[in-house]
Amino acid sequence: MFKVGIPRALLYYQYYPMWQVFFEELGAGVVISPTTTPAVLAAGSSRLVADTCLPAKVFIGHVISLVGKCDCIFIPAIRSVKNDVYNCSKFLGLPDMTRATVPESPPILDIDVDINRGKRQLYQAIYRLGRHFTWNPVKIKRAALTAWQTYQRHRQTMAGEKLMLSQVMEAREAGQRPPAKPEPYRATIAVIGHPYILFDVYVNHRIVRRLEQANIRVVTPEMLTVSELTAATARMVGGAYWTYEEEIVGAGGHYLQNTVDGVIGVMAFGCGPDSLMMDMVDRRAARLKSTPFMSITLDEHTAEAGLVTRLEAFTDMIQRRKKGR
Amino acid sequence: MEIYLGIDVGSVTTKLAALDSEDRLIGHVYLPTLGKPIEMVLTGLKEISKELPADAHVCGAGTTGSARYLAGVIVGADLVKNEITCHAVATMHSIPEARTIIEIGGQDSKIIIIEDGVVTDFGMNTVCAAGTGSFLDHQALRLGIDIKEFARLALESRTPVRIAGRCTVFGESDMIHKQQMGHRIEDILYGLCQALVRNYLNNVALGKKTELPIVFQGGVAFNQAIVKAFNDELKTEVIVPPHHEIMGAIGAALLAHEEMTDGNRDSQFTGFDAGGASYVTSSFECKACPNLCEIAQLALDGKVLARWGGRCDLWERVHPEGSP
Repeated sequence: MFKVGIPRALLYYQYYPMWQVFFEELGAGVVISPTTTPAVLAAGSSRLVADTCLPAKVFIGHVISLVGKCDCIFIPAIRSVKNDVYNCSKFLGLPDMTRATVPESPPILDIDVDINRGKRQLYQAIYRLGRHFTWNPVKIKRAALTAWQTYQRHRQTMAGEKLMLSQVMEAREAGQRPPAKPEPYRATIAVIGHPYILFDVYVNHRIVRRLEQANIRVVTPEMLTVSELTAATARMVGGAYWTYEEEIVGAGGHYLQNTVDGVIGVMAFGCGPDSLMMDMVDRRAARLKSTPFMSITLDEHTAEAGLVTRLEAFTDMIQRRKKGR
Repeated sequence: MEIYLGIDVGSVTTKLAALDSEDRLIGHVYLPTLGKPIEMVLTGLKEISKELPADAHVCGAGTTGSARYLAGVIVGADLVKNEITCHAVATMHSIPEARTIIEIGGQDSKIIIIEDGVVTDFGMNTVCAAGTGSFLDHQALRLGIDIKEFARLALESRTPVRIAGRCTVFGESDMIHKQQMGHRIEDILYGLCQALVRNYLNNVALGKKTELPIVFQGGVAFNQAIVKAFNDELKTEVIVPPHHEIMGAIGAALLAHEEMTDGNRDSQFTGFDAGGASYVTSSFECKACPNLCEIAQLALDGKVLARWGGRCDLWERVHPEGSP
């Protein structure tokens, strides 16, 4: 069977059900790279210049780990998914950056997603992608539609049942329903950031798990509905400029004003859009003064002491605040 | 006599504080860590026990600082707490009206904002150690000045020179440049103090609302030149509390007291004369998955007491036989 490789990095965390279903509907097999390890990150950072952001290094590492395990690698160039909303340049150039830095990679299957150029262009791009697998346009259309519906259901499941992406992912890989989280909890903390940071446990040093071990209920951006995110983004900044702004500014704005005891923003060192977006949330928190906010910047360091101290201090602060001492 | 013990094992110094049942300080010890946290905790225990009355009975022990988990296992701590909470608790105990706490230690610096007796915000330095005690130590050593002489000399400065404080590497080359230009050492030293204060206010305290009164504590608060630089920059008098260098340990003791009162249980404290015990630390690389974590372990007489450093829980549960 013809096998399509998908690196477990960046937008994989956003769209994997959609991508997987699309290729499977077209009769291809899907290979997903294993979870991030020190070797994956080391391989990625050795190929890129030092200034590149951490998530891009992780991505290239995953591409390298797929070499020899699949017949092609799927790397979309997502330019925009909404009108007049722009994406980080690393996402635009992802297929070309990969070709330049991983010459031994199998052929790269790419697709330009740019809503700014109209829906017709998007449909043509999807058709061109599908043509690698079949000549039958009806089959491609059906695969695309099933993939889109799967993605919508996936989003609705998380937002509707308040499930974290990691729960849904683990359940999907194990073929089970996601388990219910244990109650009761000491406090609720919203952890905001891009899914490729929040759910790559190697990159984020198990932030979510550490909080849960301290009996904290963690809520994340994908538990909010699209309309909640859009409304909060509009309230905070008028409207999104960056493609994945809602999961930071929108989620941050929403949680700051809604029944959580604290908000932690997690971002990668060297991420330009994040440094701007997280600051918006920080400023809003400073103005509202109702919910504490802390931001954490991650890079390649492996020592966890600094992170642990900050998480402990933050949860203590919330705890003592609740007790009133 | 009821005693509550707090132990703060920092990167540069180890502090111990003993409180009585009324939370009054009745004994304290301040030692250099010298890269040997275990030995220093044992030495500290021995020394503090000399200061305590003969009928001292430890009813609660807390540890803090970067080696808090290690120290916690050695002394059988009832509570292991991070430095921020400990410092805040200690300051609110001794100076209840404090609104802002500036704490500068060996490897890290923090700011803690307090409102209505509750911590509402805090900040810590990022990975860079510029603007902490180690940097001052290092520069004093390079200039051949005893760190105790540092403040006296710096306070004699009349025209301090401007030194880049953002990064130690740039700071040092700036200092060397100024020294080769013929500036007086006093002026360079005070310039360094100002750079450290600027770096602190622009980094750690960035975006934090510093309300008065401001309390300045930690080992660096010994340095009167830094205190003066803070006063000049903030245009106020910062309060340096008595025992500012052991606030972390006091906080750990206070929290241990609180914990024991709330929990109503007996202390796990192992005693002051653990000095004879032979603690052995070692490390190995876990090969259970491709993460290859470096696991550190602490053993007493061949029995493993605790392990740290894994990215998963595999080694955290202790198995005396040595296998997971």
